[in-house]
Amino acid sequence: MTPSGPIADAVAHGVMPGRVWLYSNYHCNLACSYCLTESSPRSERRELTADQMLAVAEQAKALGFTGLGVTGGEPFLLPWLPDAILAMAEQLPLVLLTNATLFSGDRLERATRLAHPDIALQISLDSHLSDVNDMARGDDNFAKVVEAVPLLRAAGVRVRIATTTAGPLESPFLQPLRELVASMGVPADDHLVRPIVRRGRADERGMGVRAEARDIPSELTISADGAFWGSFGPTVRNGRLDTDLLLTRTILPLEVPATALLGALQGLPPGQDARLGIR
Amino acid sequence: MSRLDLLDASNAPMTVQAYFAEGDPGPIIAALASVPEMLAPTLGFIGPALGAGAIGTRWKEFAILRTSALQGCSYCIHAHTAVSLDVGLTEAEVRGLRGEAPIEEAFPAPADRALLAWIDGLAGATGPVPNDVWDTARAHHSEHRLVEISITVGATMFLNRFATAFQLPTSDDTLARLDAQGMA
Repeated sequence: MTPSGPIADAVAHGVMPGRVWLYSNYHCNLACSYCLTESSPRSERRELTADQMLAVAEQAKALGFTGLGVTGGEPFLLPWLPDAILAMAEQLPLVLLTNATLFSGDRLERATRLAHPDIALQISLDSHLSDVNDMARGDDNFAKVVEAVPLLRAAGVRVRIATTTAGPLESPFLQPLRELVASMGVPADDHLVRPIVRRGRADERGMGVRAEARDIPSELTISADGAFWGSFGPTVRNGRLDTDLLLTRTILPLEVPATALLGALQGLPPGQDARLGIR
Repeated sequence: MSRLDLLDASNAPMTVQAYFAEGDPGPIIAALASVPEMLAPTLGFIGPALGAGAIGTRWKEFAILRTSALQGCSYCIHAHTAVSLDVGLTEAEVRGLRGEAPIEEAFPAPADRALLAWIDGLAGATGPVPNDVWDTARAHHSEHRLVEISITVGATMFLNRFATAFQLPTSDDTLARLDAQGMA
Protein backbone atom coordinates (compact mmCIF):
# COMPACT_ATOMS: atom_id res chain seq x y z
CA MET A 1 0.00 0.00 0.00
CA THR A 2 1.33 3.45 -0.87
CA PRO A 3 1.95 5.53 2.26
CA SER A 4 -0.20 8.60 2.66
CA GLY A 5 -0.35 11.47 5.11
CA PRO A 6 1.59 14.67 5.76
CA ILE A 7 4.99 12.99 6.10
CA ALA A 8 4.56 10.98 2.91
CA ASP A 9 3.37 14.09 1.09
CA ALA A 10 6.33 16.12 2.36
CA VAL A 11 8.78 13.44 1.21
CA ALA A 12 7.05 13.00 -2.14
CA HIS A 13 7.13 16.73 -2.82
CA GLY A 14 10.73 17.20 -1.71
CA VAL A 15 9.83 19.22 1.37
CA MET A 16 11.38 16.62 3.65
CA PRO A 17 14.34 14.43 2.72
CA GLY A 18 13.45 10.79 2.25
CA ARG A 19 16.23 9.23 4.29
CA VAL A 20 16.11 8.50 8.00
CA TRP A 21 19.47 8.18 9.75
CA LEU A 22 20.11 6.06 12.81
CA TYR A 23 23.09 6.36 15.14
CA SER A 24 23.37 2.74 16.13
CA ASN A 25 25.99 3.61 18.76
CA TYR A 26 28.47 6.32 19.73
CA HIS A 27 31.52 4.29 20.68
CA CYS A 28 34.23 3.58 18.14
CA ASN A 29 37.57 1.85 17.85
CA LEU A 30 38.97 5.07 16.32
CA ALA A 31 39.13 8.66 17.58
CA CYS A 32 39.22 10.77 14.41
CA SER A 33 40.33 14.38 14.73
CA TYR A 34 37.15 15.81 13.16
CA CYS A 35 34.65 13.37 14.65
CA LEU A 36 31.23 14.95 15.15
CA THR A 37 30.38 12.82 18.13
CA GLU A 38 33.71 12.65 19.96
CA SER A 39 33.53 8.92 19.40
CA SER A 40 36.35 6.80 20.70
CA PRO A 41 36.87 3.51 22.53
CA ARG A 42 36.20 5.43 25.78
CA SER A 43 32.90 6.97 24.69
CA GLU A 44 29.92 6.40 26.92
CA ARG A 45 28.00 3.36 25.64
CA ARG A 46 24.85 4.90 24.22
CA GLU A 47 23.24 2.72 21.57
CA LEU A 48 19.95 1.84 19.97
CA THR A 49 18.70 -1.70 20.33
CA ALA A 50 18.15 -3.97 17.36
CA ASP A 51 14.41 -3.86 18.05
CA GLN A 52 14.40 -0.07 18.04
CA MET A 53 16.31 0.05 14.78
CA LEU A 54 13.97 -2.37 13.09
CA ALA A 55 10.95 -0.47 14.41
CA VAL A 56 12.36 2.75 12.98
CA ALA A 57 12.80 1.03 9.62
CA GLU A 58 9.28 -0.39 9.60
CA GLN A 59 7.67 2.84 10.68
CA ALA A 60 9.79 4.92 8.30
CA LYS A 61 8.48 2.86 5.40
CA ALA A 62 4.90 3.15 6.62
CA LEU A 63 5.20 6.93 6.98
CA GLY A 64 6.53 7.35 3.45
CA PHE A 65 10.26 7.72 3.92
CA THR A 66 12.30 6.21 1.12
CA GLY A 67 15.67 5.23 2.56
CA LEU A 68 17.71 4.55 5.66
CA GLY A 69 21.23 5.36 6.82
CA VAL A 70 23.06 3.83 9.74
CA THR A 71 26.10 5.43 11.32
CA GLY A 72 27.95 5.66 14.64
CA GLY A 73 30.42 5.39 16.35
CA GLU A 74 31.50 2.28 14.57
CA PRO A 75 28.37 0.19 13.93
CA PHE A 76 30.30 -3.04 13.44
CA LEU A 77 31.31 -2.99 17.10
CA LEU A 78 27.76 -4.23 17.72
CA PRO A 79 27.77 -8.00 17.13
CA TRP A 80 24.09 -8.11 16.23
CA LEU A 81 24.35 -5.35 13.67
CA PRO A 82 24.53 -7.37 10.39
CA ASP A 83 21.33 -9.27 11.22
CA ALA A 84 19.55 -6.01 12.06
CA ILE A 85 20.80 -4.39 8.85
CA LEU A 86 19.53 -7.28 6.75
CA ALA A 87 16.11 -7.04 8.40
CA MET A 88 15.99 -3.27 7.96
CA ALA A 89 16.91 -3.53 4.29
CA GLU A 90 13.79 -5.61 3.77
CA GLN A 91 11.91 -2.42 4.55
CA LEU A 92 13.92 0.30 2.76
CA PRO A 93 17.24 0.69 0.91
CA LEU A 94 20.03 1.32 3.36
CA VAL A 95 23.52 2.80 3.48
CA LEU A 96 25.73 1.71 6.37
CA LEU A 97 28.71 3.83 7.37
CA THR A 98 31.81 2.08 8.68
CA ASN A 99 35.49 2.76 9.07
CA ALA A 100 36.19 -0.75 7.68
CA THR A 101 39.05 -1.32 10.07
CA LEU A 102 37.46 -4.27 11.84
CA PHE A 103 36.99 -6.52 8.83
CA SER A 104 39.03 -9.56 9.67
CA GLY A 105 38.03 -13.03 10.74
CA ASP A 106 34.41 -13.30 11.93
CA ARG A 107 33.70 -9.62 11.37
CA LEU A 108 34.68 -9.87 7.71
CA GLU A 109 32.42 -12.88 7.33
CA ARG A 110 29.56 -10.98 8.96
CA ALA A 111 30.17 -7.97 6.73
CA THR A 112 30.16 -10.00 3.55
CA ARG A 113 26.69 -11.25 4.46
CA LEU A 114 25.57 -7.74 3.59
CA ALA A 115 25.89 -8.43 -0.13
CA HIS A 116 22.35 -7.30 -0.85
CA PRO A 117 20.91 -5.15 -3.63
CA ASP A 118 19.50 -2.63 -1.17
CA ILE A 119 22.56 -2.29 1.09
CA ALA A 120 25.66 -0.18 0.52
CA LEU A 121 28.62 0.12 2.87
CA GLN A 122 30.05 3.62 2.97
CA ILE A 123 33.68 3.57 4.03
CA SER A 124 35.73 6.58 5.04
CA LEU A 125 39.00 7.33 3.26
CA ASP A 126 40.38 10.84 3.36
CA SER A 127 43.62 10.76 1.37
CA HIS A 128 45.60 8.70 -1.10
CA LEU A 129 48.58 9.25 1.21
CA SER A 130 48.55 6.82 4.08
CA ASP A 131 50.28 9.17 6.52
CA VAL A 132 47.89 12.03 5.75
CA ASN A 133 44.87 9.79 6.03
CA ASP A 134 46.11 8.17 9.22
CA MET A 135 46.94 11.49 10.85
CA ALA A 136 43.23 12.26 11.03
CA ARG A 137 41.85 8.75 11.33
CA GLY A 138 44.41 6.75 13.27
CA ASP A 139 47.33 4.42 12.76
CA ASP A 140 47.02 1.80 10.01
CA ASN A 141 43.61 3.09 8.94
CA PHE A 142 44.66 3.53 5.32
CA ALA A 143 46.12 0.05 5.02
CA LYS A 144 43.08 -1.60 6.55
CA VAL A 145 40.68 0.25 4.27
CA VAL A 146 42.50 -0.47 1.04
CA GLU A 147 42.69 -4.10 2.09
CA ALA A 148 39.02 -4.35 3.06
CA VAL A 149 37.41 -2.67 0.07
CA PRO A 150 38.47 -5.26 -2.55
CA LEU A 151 37.54 -8.11 -0.21
CA LEU A 152 34.06 -6.68 0.32
CA ARG A 153 33.56 -5.98 -3.36
CA ALA A 154 34.73 -9.48 -4.26
CA ALA A 155 32.06 -10.81 -1.93
CA GLY A 156 29.41 -8.80 -3.77
CA VAL A 157 29.04 -5.99 -1.25
CA ARG A 158 28.34 -2.57 -2.73
CA VAL A 159 30.97 -0.15 -1.44
CA ARG A 160 30.87 3.63 -1.43
CA ILE A 161 33.77 5.78 -0.32
CA ALA A 162 33.31 8.98 1.69
CA THR A 163 36.07 11.53 1.86
CA THR A 164 35.96 14.27 4.44
CA THR A 165 38.24 17.17 3.63
CA ALA A 166 39.34 20.45 5.12
CA GLY A 167 40.11 21.75 1.62
CA PRO A 168 38.02 22.70 -1.40
CA LEU A 169 35.66 19.93 -2.51
CA GLU A 170 36.85 20.16 -6.11
CA SER A 171 40.55 20.46 -5.29
CA PRO A 172 42.96 18.93 -7.83
CA PHE A 173 44.81 17.53 -4.83
CA LEU A 174 41.95 15.05 -4.53
CA GLN A 175 42.57 13.62 -8.01
CA PRO A 176 45.05 10.93 -6.86
CA LEU A 177 42.52 9.84 -4.27
CA ARG A 178 39.79 9.66 -6.90
CA GLU A 179 42.12 7.47 -8.98
CA LEU A 180 42.84 5.23 -5.99
CA VAL A 181 39.12 4.85 -5.35
CA ALA A 182 38.51 4.00 -8.99
CA SER A 183 41.34 1.47 -8.90
CA MET A 184 39.51 -0.35 -6.13
CA GLY A 185 36.50 -0.69 -8.44
CA VAL A 186 34.34 1.92 -6.79
CA PRO A 187 32.44 4.02 -9.36
CA ALA A 188 32.92 7.79 -9.28
CA ASP A 189 29.25 8.22 -8.41
CA ASP A 190 29.87 6.20 -5.27
CA HIS A 191 32.72 8.45 -4.10
CA LEU A 192 31.36 11.19 -1.86
CA VAL A 193 33.49 14.22 -1.02
CA ARG A 194 32.27 16.49 1.75
CA PRO A 195 33.61 19.18 4.04
CA ILE A 196 34.46 18.86 7.70
CA VAL A 197 31.55 20.38 9.59
CA ARG A 198 32.57 22.51 12.54
CA ARG A 199 30.70 20.63 15.21
CA GLY A 200 31.80 18.14 17.83
CA ARG A 201 35.53 17.49 18.05
CA ALA A 202 36.10 19.50 14.86
CA ASP A 203 34.69 22.56 16.62
CA GLU A 204 36.95 22.03 19.62
CA ARG A 205 39.91 22.05 17.21
CA GLY A 206 38.67 24.93 15.03
CA MET A 207 38.30 22.73 11.95
CA GLY A 208 35.77 22.78 9.13
CA VAL A 209 32.90 24.89 7.87
CA ARG A 210 30.46 26.60 10.16
CA ALA A 211 26.89 25.54 9.49
CA GLU A 212 23.52 26.48 10.88
CA ALA A 213 20.45 24.30 10.84
CA ARG A 214 19.32 25.42 7.42
CA ASP A 215 22.76 24.55 6.01
CA ILE A 216 22.55 20.96 7.17
CA PRO A 217 20.51 18.42 5.23
CA SER A 218 17.38 18.00 7.27
CA GLU A 219 17.29 14.22 7.27
CA LEU A 220 15.51 12.89 10.32
CA THR A 221 18.16 11.37 12.58
CA ILE A 222 17.51 8.98 15.42
CA SER A 223 19.94 8.25 18.25
CA ALA A 224 19.83 6.96 21.79
CA ASP A 225 19.73 10.63 22.86
CA GLY A 226 16.66 11.54 20.81
CA ALA A 227 15.68 12.66 17.32
CA PHE A 228 17.61 15.40 15.54
CA TRP A 229 17.57 17.66 12.50
CA GLY A 230 20.13 15.99 10.27
CA SER A 231 22.88 13.46 10.74
CA PHE A 232 25.12 16.32 11.84
CA GLY A 233 22.72 17.01 14.70
CA PRO A 234 23.59 14.70 17.61
CA THR A 235 27.11 16.00 18.00
CA VAL A 236 29.11 15.96 21.21
CA ARG A 237 31.48 18.68 22.38
CA ASN A 238 33.64 18.44 25.49
CA GLY A 239 31.58 15.46 26.55
CA ARG A 240 28.31 17.34 26.32
CA LEU A 241 25.60 16.56 23.78
CA ASP A 242 24.73 19.48 21.48
CA THR A 243 21.00 20.06 21.75
CA ASP A 244 20.58 22.92 19.30
CA LEU A 245 19.34 20.54 16.59
CA LEU A 246 17.40 18.29 18.95
CA LEU A 247 13.82 17.79 17.77
CA THR A 248 12.38 15.39 20.35
CA ARG A 249 13.59 12.97 22.98
CA THR A 250 10.84 10.65 21.78
CA ILE A 251 12.12 8.41 18.99
CA LEU A 252 9.23 5.94 18.70
CA PRO A 253 6.60 6.07 17.40
CA LEU A 254 8.57 7.64 14.57
CA GLU A 255 5.63 9.84 13.67
CA VAL A 256 6.39 12.01 16.73
CA PRO A 257 9.87 13.17 15.66
CA ALA A 258 8.90 13.13 11.97
CA THR A 259 6.05 15.53 12.68
CA ALA A 260 8.37 17.74 14.73
CA LEU A 261 10.85 17.81 11.84
CA LEU A 262 8.11 18.73 9.38
CA GLY A 263 7.04 21.57 11.66
CA ALA A 264 10.62 22.81 11.94
CA LEU A 265 11.09 22.60 8.17
CA GLN A 266 8.03 24.73 7.60
CA GLY A 267 9.43 27.37 9.94
CA LEU A 268 12.89 27.85 8.45
CA PRO A 269 14.03 29.87 5.44
CA PRO A 270 16.09 28.19 2.70
CA GLY A 271 19.73 27.55 3.52
CA GLN A 272 23.00 27.29 1.72
CA ASP A 273 23.48 23.54 2.03
CA ALA A 274 24.05 23.15 -1.70
CA ARG A 275 26.84 25.72 -1.62
CA LEU A 276 28.57 24.18 1.40
CA GLY A 277 28.26 20.67 0.01
CA ILE A 278 27.36 19.16 3.37
CA ARG A 279 25.90 15.69 2.89
CA MET B 1 23.10 25.46 42.02
CA SER B 2 20.83 23.53 39.72
CA ARG B 3 21.30 19.81 39.38
CA LEU B 4 20.44 20.19 35.70
CA ASP B 5 22.49 21.56 32.88
CA LEU B 6 20.08 24.40 32.17
CA LEU B 7 19.89 25.27 28.48
CA ASP B 8 20.36 28.76 27.13
CA ALA B 9 19.92 30.39 23.73
CA SER B 10 23.15 28.86 22.43
CA ASN B 11 22.05 25.27 22.92
CA ALA B 12 18.27 25.43 23.13
CA PRO B 13 16.66 23.01 20.69
CA MET B 14 15.64 24.64 17.45
CA THR B 15 11.94 23.94 17.94
CA VAL B 16 11.87 25.86 21.23
CA GLN B 17 14.27 28.70 20.39
CA ALA B 18 11.39 31.17 20.49
CA TYR B 19 11.23 30.82 24.27
CA PHE B 20 14.80 32.10 24.48
CA ALA B 21 14.46 34.94 21.98
CA GLU B 22 13.87 37.61 24.62
CA GLY B 23 16.72 36.48 26.86
CA ASP B 24 16.79 34.14 29.85
CA PRO B 25 13.35 32.53 30.09
CA GLY B 26 13.97 31.33 33.65
CA PRO B 27 15.08 28.00 35.00
CA ILE B 28 11.76 26.16 34.58
CA ILE B 29 11.65 26.71 30.82
CA ALA B 30 15.41 26.20 30.57
CA ALA B 31 14.96 22.83 32.26
CA LEU B 32 11.87 21.74 30.33
CA ALA B 33 13.59 22.61 27.04
CA SER B 34 15.81 19.54 27.31
CA VAL B 35 12.71 17.54 26.35
CA PRO B 36 11.50 19.92 23.68
CA GLU B 37 8.35 18.05 22.73
CA MET B 38 7.16 18.39 26.35
CA LEU B 39 7.78 22.12 26.70
CA ALA B 40 4.79 23.58 24.87
CA PRO B 41 2.27 21.05 26.25
CA THR B 42 3.56 21.53 29.81
CA LEU B 43 3.43 25.31 29.57
CA GLY B 44 0.07 24.97 27.90
CA PHE B 45 -1.17 23.45 31.16
CA ILE B 46 0.83 25.51 33.63
CA GLY B 47 0.09 28.85 31.98
CA PRO B 48 -3.70 28.83 32.40
CA ALA B 49 -3.52 26.86 35.64
CA LEU B 50 -1.41 29.55 37.29
CA GLY B 51 -2.79 32.50 35.33
CA ALA B 52 -5.63 34.72 36.48
CA GLY B 53 -8.34 32.49 35.01
CA ALA B 54 -11.93 32.96 36.08
CA ILE B 55 -11.18 33.38 39.77
CA GLY B 56 -8.62 36.18 39.51
CA THR B 57 -5.05 36.65 40.58
CA ARG B 58 -5.67 37.14 44.32
CA TRP B 59 -7.15 33.71 44.93
CA LYS B 60 -4.78 32.12 42.41
CA GLU B 61 -1.86 33.40 44.45
CA PHE B 62 -3.50 32.02 47.58
CA ALA B 63 -3.32 28.60 45.96
CA ILE B 64 0.19 28.96 44.53
CA LEU B 65 1.96 30.49 47.50
CA ARG B 66 0.15 28.43 50.13
CA THR B 67 0.79 25.19 48.24
CA SER B 68 4.44 26.09 47.74
CA ALA B 69 4.84 26.77 51.45
CA LEU B 70 3.18 23.48 52.37
CA GLN B 71 5.42 21.66 49.92
CA GLY B 72 8.54 23.49 51.09
CA CYS B 73 9.58 24.73 47.67
CA SER B 74 11.92 27.65 48.25
CA TYR B 75 12.12 28.51 44.54
CA CYS B 76 8.34 28.84 44.23
CA ILE B 77 7.96 30.58 47.60
CA HIS B 78 10.43 33.25 46.55
CA ALA B 79 8.97 33.68 43.07
CA HIS B 80 5.37 33.87 44.25
CA THR B 81 6.07 36.03 47.25
CA ALA B 82 7.11 38.61 44.68
CA VAL B 83 4.11 37.92 42.45
CA SER B 84 1.69 37.99 45.39
CA LEU B 85 2.95 41.39 46.49
CA ASP B 86 2.74 42.61 42.91
CA VAL B 87 -0.92 41.63 42.58
CA GLY B 88 -1.85 43.38 45.80
CA LEU B 89 -1.60 40.93 48.67
CA THR B 90 -0.35 42.55 51.84
CA GLU B 91 2.83 41.54 53.59
CA ALA B 92 0.68 40.16 56.43
CA GLU B 93 -1.28 38.02 53.97
CA VAL B 94 1.90 36.77 52.35
CA ARG B 95 3.33 35.86 55.73
CA GLY B 96 0.10 34.08 56.58
CA LEU B 97 0.19 32.07 53.36
CA ARG B 98 3.84 31.21 54.00
CA GLY B 99 2.90 29.88 57.44
CA GLU B 100 4.79 32.61 59.29
CA ALA B 101 1.70 34.16 60.88
CA PRO B 102 -1.70 32.80 61.98
CA ILE B 103 -4.11 32.39 59.06
CA GLU B 104 -7.05 33.68 61.11
CA GLU B 105 -5.32 37.02 61.69
CA ALA B 106 -4.15 37.46 58.14
CA PHE B 107 -7.46 36.42 56.57
CA PRO B 108 -10.50 37.49 58.58
CA ALA B 109 -12.93 36.94 55.69
CA PRO B 110 -14.73 33.56 55.98
CA ALA B 111 -14.64 33.01 52.20
CA ASP B 112 -10.85 33.40 52.17
CA ARG B 113 -10.42 31.02 55.10
CA ALA B 114 -12.74 28.44 53.55
CA LEU B 115 -10.72 28.52 50.36
CA LEU B 116 -7.44 28.21 52.25
CA ALA B 117 -8.77 25.24 54.21
CA TRP B 118 -9.62 23.57 50.88
CA ILE B 119 -6.10 24.33 49.58
CA ASP B 120 -4.59 22.94 52.78
CA GLY B 121 -6.71 19.82 52.40
CA LEU B 122 -5.30 19.25 48.93
CA ALA B 123 -1.67 20.30 49.28
CA GLY B 124 -0.95 19.74 52.95
CA ALA B 125 -2.32 16.26 53.47
CA THR B 126 -2.75 12.87 51.89
CA GLY B 127 -5.95 10.85 51.60
CA PRO B 128 -9.50 12.21 51.58
CA VAL B 129 -10.28 15.87 52.14
CA PRO B 130 -12.67 15.96 55.16
CA ASN B 131 -16.36 16.57 54.54
CA ASP B 132 -16.48 19.60 56.81
CA VAL B 133 -13.74 21.25 54.75
CA TRP B 134 -15.71 20.55 51.57
CA ASP B 135 -18.99 21.70 53.06
CA THR B 136 -17.48 24.96 54.29
CA ALA B 137 -15.78 25.57 50.98
CA ARG B 138 -19.03 24.95 49.08
CA ALA B 139 -20.88 27.30 51.38
CA HIS B 140 -18.71 30.14 50.09
CA HIS B 141 -17.62 29.05 46.60
CA SER B 142 -19.10 27.49 43.49
CA GLU B 143 -18.08 24.06 42.30
CA HIS B 144 -16.32 25.43 39.24
CA ARG B 145 -14.31 27.83 41.39
CA LEU B 146 -13.15 24.93 43.56
CA VAL B 147 -12.32 22.91 40.47
CA GLU B 148 -10.22 25.76 39.12
CA ILE B 149 -8.39 26.34 42.40
CA SER B 150 -7.73 22.59 42.62
CA ILE B 151 -6.19 22.61 39.15
CA THR B 152 -3.94 25.45 40.30
CA VAL B 153 -2.94 23.51 43.40
CA GLY B 154 -2.11 20.46 41.28
CA ALA B 155 -0.04 22.42 38.77
CA THR B 156 1.77 24.15 41.62
CA MET B 157 2.56 20.85 43.32
CA PHE B 158 4.10 19.63 40.07
CA LEU B 159 6.25 22.76 39.85
CA ASN B 160 7.12 22.53 43.55
CA ARG B 161 8.49 19.04 43.21
CA PHE B 162 10.15 19.78 39.85
CA ALA B 163 11.92 22.91 41.12
CA THR B 164 12.87 21.33 44.44
CA ALA B 165 14.11 18.03 43.03
CA PHE B 166 16.28 19.72 40.42
CA GLN B 167 17.34 22.49 42.81
CA LEU B 168 16.34 25.25 40.42
CA PRO B 169 17.87 28.57 41.48
CA THR B 170 15.93 31.70 42.40
CA SER B 171 17.16 34.65 40.37
CA ASP B 172 19.50 37.11 42.05
CA ASP B 173 17.12 39.95 41.19
CA THR B 174 14.20 38.30 42.99
CA LEU B 175 16.29 37.49 46.04
CA ALA B 176 17.65 41.04 46.19
CA ARG B 177 14.18 42.50 45.94
CA LEU B 178 12.73 40.26 48.63
CA ASP B 179 15.72 40.90 50.84
CA ALA B 180 15.21 44.65 50.49
CA GLN B 181 11.57 44.21 51.50
CA GLY B 182 12.43 41.94 54.40
CA MET B 183 10.55 39.10 52.72
CA ALA B 184 13.37 36.81 51.62
